[in-house]
Amino acid sequence: MIASVFEGFWNVLLDVSLAFLPLLLIFVAFNVYSWKLPRPQLVRILRGLLTAFIGLVLFLQGANAGFIKVGGLIGNHIGRLPYNWILIPIGFLLGFVVAMAEPAIKVLNFEVEKVTGGYINNKVMLYFLSFGVALAVSLSMVRILTGISIWFFLVPGYLLAFVLSRHVKPIFVALAFDSGGVVTGPMIATFLLAFAVGSSEVIEGSTPIFDGFGMIGLVAMFAIVSILTLGLLYSRSEAKGVKKHGSQQEA
Amino acid sequence: MSLKETVSEVLHAILPITVVIVLLQFTIVRFPMDIFWTFLVSVILTIAGFTLFLSGVEASLLAIGELVGKSLMLSGKVGLLIGFGTAVGFSVTVAEPGVQVLAAQVSTVSGGAVSKYLLVAVVALGVGIFLSLALLRIVYKIPIILLLGGGFALACILAFFSAPEFIAVAFDAGGATTGPVTVPFILALGVGMSAVRGSNAASAESFGFLGMGAVGPIVAILLLGVLYK
Repeated sequence: MIASVFEGFWNVLLDVSLAFLPLLLIFVAFNVYSWKLPRPQLVRILRGLLTAFIGLVLFLQGANAGFIKVGGLIGNHIGRLPYNWILIPIGFLLGFVVAMAEPAIKVLNFEVEKVTGGYINNKVMLYFLSFGVALAVSLSMVRILTGISIWFFLVPGYLLAFVLSRHVKPIFVALAFDSGGVVTGPMIATFLLAFAVGSSEVIEGSTPIFDGFGMIGLVAMFAIVSILTLGLLYSRSEAKGVKKHGSQQEA
Repeated sequence: MSLKETVSEVLHAILPITVVIVLLQFTIVRFPMDIFWTFLVSVILTIAGFTLFLSGVEASLLAIGELVGKSLMLSGKVGLLIGFGTAVGFSVTVAEPGVQVLAAQVSTVSGGAVSKYLLVAVVALGVGIFLSLALLRIVYKIPIILLLGGGFALACILAFFSAPEFIAVAFDAGGATTGPVTVPFILALGVGMSAVRGSNAASAESFGFLGMGAVGPIVAILLLGVLYK
């Protein structure tokens, strides 16, 4: 059992090392040529890098050994059931909770809180993103079960995104498109892809290559639309506030 | 954040999905027991890893990103911004594991006509160019919607002329380039750059870099799709 937990460990270690390498080089180059940081600060950054590095290796190893395998099995098992339409609600549930477990979203939340000083509530933003991912996953399941083309979702979705963009504050536009990148982090992308491929394998008329592709794009699009919707709600409630108090509050 | 807060944050993140999977185990799915035990052990690994990652990321990746962003902005050299944006976008993308996986897929789709290396290079260049544009946006105060809208409009036009098998892959590629190391660094880069400006608009300007980094590869792969056709 312990052996299976550490299956593929060297690959994870190599992947994470490669991902850290360019940033380490950038840091060293800037420090040598420009910053020349004092020793304590240098030590703090290097120690932080090491901690984050070890953490990411353990996290990804856990995600690979546990969550991905289980994700594939869930899809495989439910796809074979006579009532396999329950992939749709279960996809919704899994999408909702997997978004909460995404490290990249946590980091985005942290930066948003820091920059906006709490103007955009962390928890609310997280729930909106989770809801968006959940919808995207259940629609992906509809696609796998019925074979409906991804264009019926992607084209109206992005059109909606650009209409909404005109009615929200610029910060929500920027945040929405950033979120589109963040929701495709290591936990969401790998777990959900395993789940989708697992179900697609056993459902007649669905091919993993075809239906697996496009799911990530759908998740990204839904994250964008859900943050823009949040922005719209913010504009609405602020407009109301202005009417009530007769004065504009500075954001 | 204190260690206690971080642990509580991580538990709130990991426990919901764990509970859902455990419930499935006792209702619909029934995983083989050895897989179920492996899963439970890997949950512990995930929690430990997530906690370490969050405790280290602020002092390291976020701090470096902000320092680099400030230095770039203070240097005030447009050439440096373009060169740096392209180089950084290129190198972090090449190092991203997700991009390697994607490249292998595309190589399959095109029946080997588009080699893995060519694709990685094209995607990385796409990220690099769009990241430089995102840096220049702050200097020249270009609204983000103009750049993102322009990027997506270009993508739509290219999709029209592209070989169809490239389209779904292109939209997936937008996600493949933003891994867990790149995300904190690029986010902080934006925060650092706009902090130098210190204007009211700064908080809005801090974001949008990741979004630009995601449009780059979409455009790049579709361009490849047009040429391939």
